[in-house]
Amino acid sequence: MSYIPKIDELACSSHGDCVEVAPQVFALDDIAVVIGDGPPELLLEAAKVCPSTAILLFDSESGQQVYP
Amino acid sequence: MNDDGIVIAGGGLAAQRCCERLRARGYEGPLRVVCDEGVAPYDRPPLSKEVLAGERDSDALAFKPAQWYGDKGVELLLGERAVSLDPEARRLELSSGAALRYEQLLIATGSRPRRLPAAERFSNAHMLRTAADARALRGAIGEGCRLAIIGAGFIGQEVAATARKLGAQVTIVEAAPTPLVGILGARIGAWFAQLHRAEGVEVLCSAQLADLHGNGRVEQLTLADGRSIDCDALVVGIGVEPAADWVAGSGLEPDGIHTDSAGRTALPGVYAAGDVARPLDQRSGQRVRTEHWEAASRQGQAVALAMLGEDPPLAPLPSFWSDQYGLRIQYVGDARAADDITIDGDQDARDFSVRFCQGDRLVAALLVGRPGELPVLRREIESHYEPMRSAA
Repeated sequence: MSYIPKIDELACSSHGDCVEVAPQVFALDDIAVVIGDGPPELLLEAAKVCPSTAILLFDSESGQQVYP
Repeated sequence: MNDDGIVIAGGGLAAQRCCERLRARGYEGPLRVVCDEGVAPYDRPPLSKEVLAGERDSDALAFKPAQWYGDKGVELLLGERAVSLDPEARRLELSSGAALRYEQLLIATGSRPRRLPAAERFSNAHMLRTAADARALRGAIGEGCRLAIIGAGFIGQEVAATARKLGAQVTIVEAAPTPLVGILGARIGAWFAQLHRAEGVEVLCSAQLADLHGNGRVEQLTLADGRSIDCDALVVGIGVEPAADWVAGSGLEPDGIHTDSAGRTALPGVYAAGDVARPLDQRSGQRVRTEHWEAASRQGQAVALAMLGEDPPLAPLPSFWSDQYGLRIQYVGDARAADDITIDGDQDARDFSVRFCQGDRLVAALLVGRPGELPVLRREIESHYEPMRSAA
């Protein structure tokens, strides 16, 4: 199982909390951008810590949104 | 553009985001930032939470490592403060007596806590705005300590939550009938009072402070109705005001500098962003000053674009968040115009969302323990403004 993260550009306020949790997955470039991948638990932690709920996670196989 | 380049008065979030965006967009001229706290820009929200709890060192809050400023050619003037502005000469005077000429200036001096003069003679009376404030308060709070907090705003509430975690006995004194009544209304405000009571905080509302007593240290508060509260330490959290008195005489507004939606003031080459600014809101057509982290971040970025001659995007809806007792609380929109509220979920279980409506239009939402609903509600609020956005 793996997740594909997407940034909601309308919502992201460049908090950078996702970068702290998962620096190999997220970086700040004006807003957060996805630069790599990581284990599902880490992606979920990064998505949940976002104060703007700007990280959406999708199941890589089914394409279903798994968070939020 | 001559060599005076860009000067930023103030070294907080808006200043940092403006610097980052300027360099990312290719601005190569001089960039100087006047940082009156004597340290490089850092993130404030953790001060009332992890730093106060002792879980994180305040030195770890810097937005960027010191080396970043050298690499990017950003000169930090640490321990300096802007004291006056001469818009004709495009000159900023500093507390040291030095002066900086600028081609373009961003005023981002933020806000400062409202003072309670009666508290200032006491050594154990605290405010919380800076990392130094957080360190001082951290040293005052511990197991069994009796902490009195004046003001049930978000600072007062987050300090209360952290102090409970540290084992303190906490009393909040709020003058209004409920916490946050001005922004969320009495019904939701009452829920916040209940949240803290359930965590063992004594919350006194409609409580008028009469006097503070003690010799060097405040030991007791008395209220207008005769009640008294004993304390070992006091926190004053009665709001903030724009730190803009120093622009008086320049033509700008010391009670919140008027700007357009891109942060431009009435003075040529002068911009304002963050808590110090009162920008025009493109949705309501009104000038709205906020004290939100997210607004400071976005406005700092918008000014960078405006300085480079670009048009910034439409500002997002106002939004903020608060973390208390392990609970994530999020808010988006502006509830002040609401005439109806609908609550979905279980307030006692701390799992609910509040829809604030004006007629049948959703104007704001508050989420407690429901981060997943934020994107949908934000879009629903935004959807009412789509015609305006496409017409802009």
